[in-house]
Amino acid sequence: MMESIDLLYQYAWLVPVLPLVGAAIVGVGLISYSQTTSKLRQPAAVLIVSLTGAAMVLSFLFFWSQVQGHPTYTSMFEWAAAGDFHLEMGYTVDHLAALMLVVVTTVAFLVMIYTHGYMAHDPGYVRFYAYLSLFSSSMLGLVISPNLLQVYVFWELVGMCSYLLIGFWYNRKAAAEACQKAFVTNRVGDFGLLLGMLALFWATGSFDFQVMGDRLTNLVNTGGLAPTLAAVFAVLVFLGPVAKSAQFPLHVWLPDAMEGPTPISALIHAATMVAAGVFLVARMYPVFEPIPAVMTVIAWTGAFTALMGATIAITQNDIKKGLAFSTMSQLGYMVMAMGVGAYSAGLFHLMTHAYFKAMLFLGSGSVIHGMEAVVGHDPVLAQDMRLMGGLRKYMPITALTFLIGTLAICGIPPFAGFWSKDEILSSTFAVNPALWAIGWLTAGITAFYMFRMYFSTFEGSFRGNDQATRRQLKQAHLQRLGLSLGPGAMNPQELTLDSEDDHSGDSHHGHEPHESPLAMTFPLLVLAVPSVLIGLLGTPFANFFEAFIHPGGVAEELEAFDWSEFTLMAGSSVAIATVGIVLAVLMYRTRVIDAGAIASKIPFLYNVSLHKWYVDDLYEVVFVQGSRRLAKQVLNIDIRIVDGLVNFTGFVTLITGEGLKYLENGRAQFYALIVFGAVLGLVLLSGIT
Amino acid sequence: MDLETFPWLTTVILFPLLASLAIPLLPDENGKTVRWYALIVGLIDFVLIVVAFALNYDFSQSGLQLVETYTWVPQLDLKWSLGVDGLSMPLVLLTGFITTLATLAAWPVTLKPKLFYFLLLAMYSGQIGVFAVQDLLLFFLFWELELIPVYLLLSIWGGKKRLYAATKFILYTAGGSLFILVAALAMAFYGDAVSFDMGLLAEKAYPLRLQLLLYLAFLVAYAVKLPIIPLHTWLPDAHGEATAPVHMLLAGILLKMGGYALIRMNFGMLPDAHAYFAPILVILGCVNIVYAALTSFAQRNLKRKIAYSSISHMGFVLIGIASFTNLGLSGAMLQMVSHGLIGASLFFLVGATYDRTHTLVLEEMGGVGKKMPKIFAMFTTCSLASLALPGMSGFVAELMVFVGFATSDAYSFTFRLIAVLFMAIGVILTPIYLLSMLREIFYGPENKALVEHEVLVDAEPREVFIIACLLVPIIGFGFYPKLLTQIYDATTQSLNFRLNQVFVASQKTGEGSIPVAALPVLKAPAISQ
Repeated sequence: MMESIDLLYQYAWLVPVLPLVGAAIVGVGLISYSQTTSKLRQPAAVLIVSLTGAAMVLSFLFFWSQVQGHPTYTSMFEWAAAGDFHLEMGYTVDHLAALMLVVVTTVAFLVMIYTHGYMAHDPGYVRFYAYLSLFSSSMLGLVISPNLLQVYVFWELVGMCSYLLIGFWYNRKAAAEACQKAFVTNRVGDFGLLLGMLALFWATGSFDFQVMGDRLTNLVNTGGLAPTLAAVFAVLVFLGPVAKSAQFPLHVWLPDAMEGPTPISALIHAATMVAAGVFLVARMYPVFEPIPAVMTVIAWTGAFTALMGATIAITQNDIKKGLAFSTMSQLGYMVMAMGVGAYSAGLFHLMTHAYFKAMLFLGSGSVIHGMEAVVGHDPVLAQDMRLMGGLRKYMPITALTFLIGTLAICGIPPFAGFWSKDEILSSTFAVNPALWAIGWLTAGITAFYMFRMYFSTFEGSFRGNDQATRRQLKQAHLQRLGLSLGPGAMNPQELTLDSEDDHSGDSHHGHEPHESPLAMTFPLLVLAVPSVLIGLLGTPFANFFEAFIHPGGVAEELEAFDWSEFTLMAGSSVAIATVGIVLAVLMYRTRVIDAGAIASKIPFLYNVSLHKWYVDDLYEVVFVQGSRRLAKQVLNIDIRIVDGLVNFTGFVTLITGEGLKYLENGRAQFYALIVFGAVLGLVLLSGIT
Repeated sequence: MDLETFPWLTTVILFPLLASLAIPLLPDENGKTVRWYALIVGLIDFVLIVVAFALNYDFSQSGLQLVETYTWVPQLDLKWSLGVDGLSMPLVLLTGFITTLATLAAWPVTLKPKLFYFLLLAMYSGQIGVFAVQDLLLFFLFWELELIPVYLLLSIWGGKKRLYAATKFILYTAGGSLFILVAALAMAFYGDAVSFDMGLLAEKAYPLRLQLLLYLAFLVAYAVKLPIIPLHTWLPDAHGEATAPVHMLLAGILLKMGGYALIRMNFGMLPDAHAYFAPILVILGCVNIVYAALTSFAQRNLKRKIAYSSISHMGFVLIGIASFTNLGLSGAMLQMVSHGLIGASLFFLVGATYDRTHTLVLEEMGGVGKKMPKIFAMFTTCSLASLALPGMSGFVAELMVFVGFATSDAYSFTFRLIAVLFMAIGVILTPIYLLSMLREIFYGPENKALVEHEVLVDAEPREVFIIACLLVPIIGFGFYPKLLTQIYDATTQSLNFRLNQVFVASQKTGEGSIPVAALPVLKAPAISQ
């Protein structure tokens, strides 16, 4: 048995390659025989889903074998060489990689099944599968990367897939802008990652995580490298995760990324790719952990982002945007956990969050799918919670699973989120009570906005047929477009024309939303199982998860379990969650408290939250317009001064040429004499001196 | 016929030229026979190149191979001297590949087809000649020879301002090449024996002052070609007016001549001067990267935008050349080949888009992705390649330059830090202008004025085939760069070894001249070789 497993490890590269093969076959088909391939929906989907399924089975085998205690398996080959310099690539399967493989493949597999239902009517169905498969491949390649360089390679590739998928509906203006924003913002993070990577390589001569960490610590201890410099290098590397995991100040792309189809929001922008930042921090632990300053930066970045995301999520009306800010906030928890040294807690939350957040997003997709039957294919209307309400009646399975997800994210025992979040909070308390306080407060806000979302969507009465609200939303949307584009940037008639087109389509739709097909509800039901149960792997009294994942595979002595401490910590976080839930019930279920009245009493806070702390507006003015202006000026210099000088020289030559032409006598000897004289002069000049 | 002594290189160079002489005799009414003729000639020549290298080229040797020498003008010691080493061989291959594809890309040319294909084939010979000759005077002749077809191709088949662009091109490059001639003569006549043989010239010991002057002369000539800012302004005009196949040749091969000659002459023959000029090259490289990226971002004309992006990418070649490391030099070579492929593909796609939209102004496009999904997909892929996405050759090249330069012992820490910072800013700017361009052409709602007036048909199989041919090596080198690097690794290593020896020696003796270490940015190297 062991031998066959060893053989299997030699083929571990198949895990990312299988989905790549699927993507390549379908992609080549789309380019060469686009008409035919687009029609082969069923075969393409079956091919890609089964290849991903095969990757999933392999991943489970590796996971099982790692649980059995199989040693870490690494295989390398020389990728590029110049002289005595070698760059190596390869793959490694250890505990962390095996865990990530399972998380990524399961979510990807379920999302692919879901896609069959969600994209059923989309003309880009096959293309979507090809992209999904390409993404799965890159993400799987990322998690089995043995060194930082290879992580960087796949890091960029998942970013590219994210770009392609956010811009999937490319004729939507918002999607076009969002995908570019996502790529460029991530490049800013990668700028740091690249610089940090080069600097660490310069200092340590290696891209291997462990070697890098050991040598760097050694250098700092022996005085070979200033501690500040080491910290700067590490923080530069951390900029990569800041962008990818949507941490402040590079979080701005994630909410906009919701312009992509919902399965993507679930897979890439909630469960897997955005968690890659946390994964990289985990991989970089040998470098980060010995530098306290870096750990502090990481912890505070995470805590601040957690709070910021939660406060913004309160006022969002777009169901997907709300979930996006919630993702940002939860990622903040994970990063904070990493920063306070709670390695296993952070990864545990990564896993539980991947499942329940994927389910929540898929649930929101199911809601949107149902709403489109009433309001038409218009994201402005179909995603707005002000038009929802009472959907539990029409879509019971979606409502039930969404409720489970909501309870999980709020941290209500025994759902998955409770165990992971509680572990983070108690570890944080031990390190820094101020950070804990932020996390604790955020937990309360989380419970509030998630139940606000649940109540507005599934409880009460259905508001989707309210024409006045629809018109109002449409109006507000147009206004926003006009504002953000600046006056006169777009023909207003075009906008109204588009919206009229949408309205004319409405007549085909019914007046009641419906439950989604089995292809969509099945993944929801499957994901509900880990969302409820998986937390039990990491209970503080029997923490299998920590024993498995601890860095270096060395299971340290688990701290003696203390009931009173557990009760205190868990009690306080459940208490604040309950407060949040009760407030949400009063405001959005029984409507005893009027939310609008509160908002109008504190307009400043309300606006700060609604406008996402004005970060986007600030970036627009400073970076977007600033860089445009700079580029224009440089171009002006190029045209006016540099090229102007050239043309001026040409002009002068023309004038002098007119004068000199009398010197020309057409005799070849004369020209040869000039050339000879010049050469002689040159040689003499250099020969003498 | 003996395969080992067969004059492969002479055949490869002369075959297209001789074949082109038959074009006027071809019975051809509508240009359909002549384009097949040119394509087949191009293909045969490419196959000849591949066969010649497959049979006779040994990767592990660093020196010249397939050498042929025939005395031409004994009085001047001018020889028809050919040979390839690791520097030439990949570029000769690239030339054959790109020129053949450009012939295929020229399929829709209807104006004076005979002259067009004649010039294309003449250029084929000229370009290979530049990379294969080992005699400096002959090099100059080929360098000049290849200008004439480009001038004519620009001035007859170009856009509205084609005469201005063509004249600017010829004045710039001819002006630049004067410096080559002067420097070549000076080198040949220096010392006892008069010779233009590059190998002999590299062995001569020139005094430092002369080396610096010669270096400067070469640098000016090659800076025009590469181009290096501020000698770049011919390029946006030439590119802005050229047709797609000429574009492919300009971006794919002509710019590489500058880089090739910089390595061959400045780096290889004047190592002492190189130690002095290297920091300047790094600075110029940084300026190229950032300045051209910014101008590209502000450009509203599609062809000019891509033209500036070429300038930006050439900055990495400069920095790689100046890095004093094997990895950096290897990266510079890779970047040249890689940009040859990527630049050619992007310019071809720009041409294909223009054929449909009949405008190059970004404001007049918009939302064309819906009607032309294949062109959209190919354009996206090639743009991603250009912005150095991993898995494609551009990434590996830039990464090698980055790592090579960052780990170089020759420069002080601060200098490296600042330079790497500027290079990395380029890494942010590149996606900004390329993705903005994609967004403005393909994304968003359809531009109604455009859709009504132009017939937007999707890519035909010929166009898909051309891009596929270019993408295969782009992705192949991206996945496994050793495919390419092993070809030239022996040569670049030995070149770099020699340079570093000279550098170290000049540190120690520093006789009669300014010691290199006195330059503020260079420090005493601790080169372990």
